[in-house]
Amino acid sequence: MNLTDQEKKMLDGVFGTGPQSAMRLLVTLGEIYGAQRMIPVSSCHVGGRSYLVSGEENIEWMTDLLEGGARFQVFTSTNPCSVDFDQWKEMGLPEELVKNQRRTDEPYLKMGAVPLGSCLPYQLGNLPLPGTHFAWGGSAGATFANSVFGARGNREGSPSVIAAAIAGVTPEYGLHLRENRYGKVLVDLSQLDHSSVSLSDYSAIGSYVGRTLIDKTPVVVGLPKTFSQDQIRFLISPMPTAGAISLCHLVGITPEASTVEAAFGGKAPGDKISVGPGEMKSSYQKLTTTQKEDVDLVCFGCPHCSIPQIREIASFLERKKIHPNTRLWVATSGHLKAMAQRMGYVEIIERAGGLVTTDLCVAPGAPFHLVQGVRTVATNSARGAYFIPGACNVEAIFGDTKDCLQAAIDGKWRAAR
Amino acid sequence: MKIVLHGRKIIGGMAEGEAVVTKEPVSFLGGVNPDKGIVVERGHEVEGQSITGKIFVFPHGKGSTAGPYIIYSMAKRKTAPKAMINVEAEPIIAVGAAMGNIPLIDRLDKNPLEVIATGDFVKIDGDKGIVEVTKLRT
Repeated sequence: MNLTDQEKKMLDGVFGTGPQSAMRLLVTLGEIYGAQRMIPVSSCHVGGRSYLVSGEENIEWMTDLLEGGARFQVFTSTNPCSVDFDQWKEMGLPEELVKNQRRTDEPYLKMGAVPLGSCLPYQLGNLPLPGTHFAWGGSAGATFANSVFGARGNREGSPSVIAAAIAGVTPEYGLHLRENRYGKVLVDLSQLDHSSVSLSDYSAIGSYVGRTLIDKTPVVVGLPKTFSQDQIRFLISPMPTAGAISLCHLVGITPEASTVEAAFGGKAPGDKISVGPGEMKSSYQKLTTTQKEDVDLVCFGCPHCSIPQIREIASFLERKKIHPNTRLWVATSGHLKAMAQRMGYVEIIERAGGLVTTDLCVAPGAPFHLVQGVRTVATNSARGAYFIPGACNVEAIFGDTKDCLQAAIDGKWRAAR
Repeated sequence: MKIVLHGRKIIGGMAEGEAVVTKEPVSFLGGVNPDKGIVVERGHEVEGQSITGKIFVFPHGKGSTAGPYIIYSMAKRKTAPKAMINVEAEPIIAVGAAMGNIPLIDRLDKNPLEVIATGDFVKIDGDKGIVEVTKLRT
């Protein structure tokens, strides 16, 4: 790789062992992918802070970097973690976990991370602009930034994102390069009656597309004229789970996909798939791992809930009570919870017996298995349902938002699955 | 008998030791016990074998992107392999090797899974991408 003098100095340890380790990691990645040079990143969003995922190893590594003089050079926000610092007792989480999560966060904060604690950083002040380069952990956010903002970044693991935040640069490979961003497969959604397709249905569709295309960039046509941010998020966030998709062209929405031709870079589409109700239903079946009736916990918020989603949950729960044997967690960011409080939604959800959590991840870093009696978790997200059984060793039911809410009230899953 | 192979440097450094070879991809997260340095993935070709202080030869990584943390932690606990040889390195193994500063070479001019056998003595010059194999049995 061709490094600038400044980058060479960093690699040689002139700025300390912390920046040196960061640069060594980035150069390694660059060599593997055949990158010619480093490019500056303007936005970073670091993951790896769920104590239940990254553990003591991450604390050791981050502390070594910090003590070696590493600091975040660019705007760097944080992904969710394994606890809610304010409500862990009500959630039934062990204090030990809270302590360990605090220890994990310490080096992030000392290096200058902005503790958004959310996978919706773009709703909270970390918004990469079209054509700029970002390094984000958390594949849902990275896919959104690529597909909706037209900013450029790869799906990557936490260490290389932390290294980019410290070095201020990342190797130029993959989706940083225009030629790698063109679509490969046309995905036609025009068979669907969009007026009856729910948010969770869109995530079921996204999951099917991810499973089918694996790593080929989709170009989606046949979307309704108005398509909300929540609908986009539910459609594209499961795509990276089954495979490695981290850019999805939504024709008419994605800046690089004003037309089908633009999305394919003037080339003919390689393949074409059509997604209808049958493909959609297959995701519900595939991601539901149990036929048992009892539901111990219902969670929303993979990715974190937006205000419209919290509103939908609150309006369903008005004057209702959640079953005493079932818990309900609505996961979002501190910012959005404050807003939902002012709008009265938090009070309604709490009066029904649920919790609106902050900072908490309800998928890969979730602590479900540490809550006494939780064996089956229901969620309205295909992305969440993909991660929950493996990460937490509990059963998952993937269903529609309203069916999940009804299960929280009944304590049992009675809808079809 | 000595065989010299040439490949691509991913992480530099010198190392020598006994080889542990598997034809199956390796997941460090969940597949290797970092305290003991032993492969624990059920049904894996080298399940139960120690990779501590060895030259670990395998096709490439697999599994979670949290894998690099495990390699790093093994380096800190001195349970890591002395060096690694991959058919084709991918980011999980490479990032872990960079974090733990463990020499890593890939893309050798001959398939290392065929040339090197468990028990062979292997000398690595990571910076030059040179692997020298002394066969245990010829």
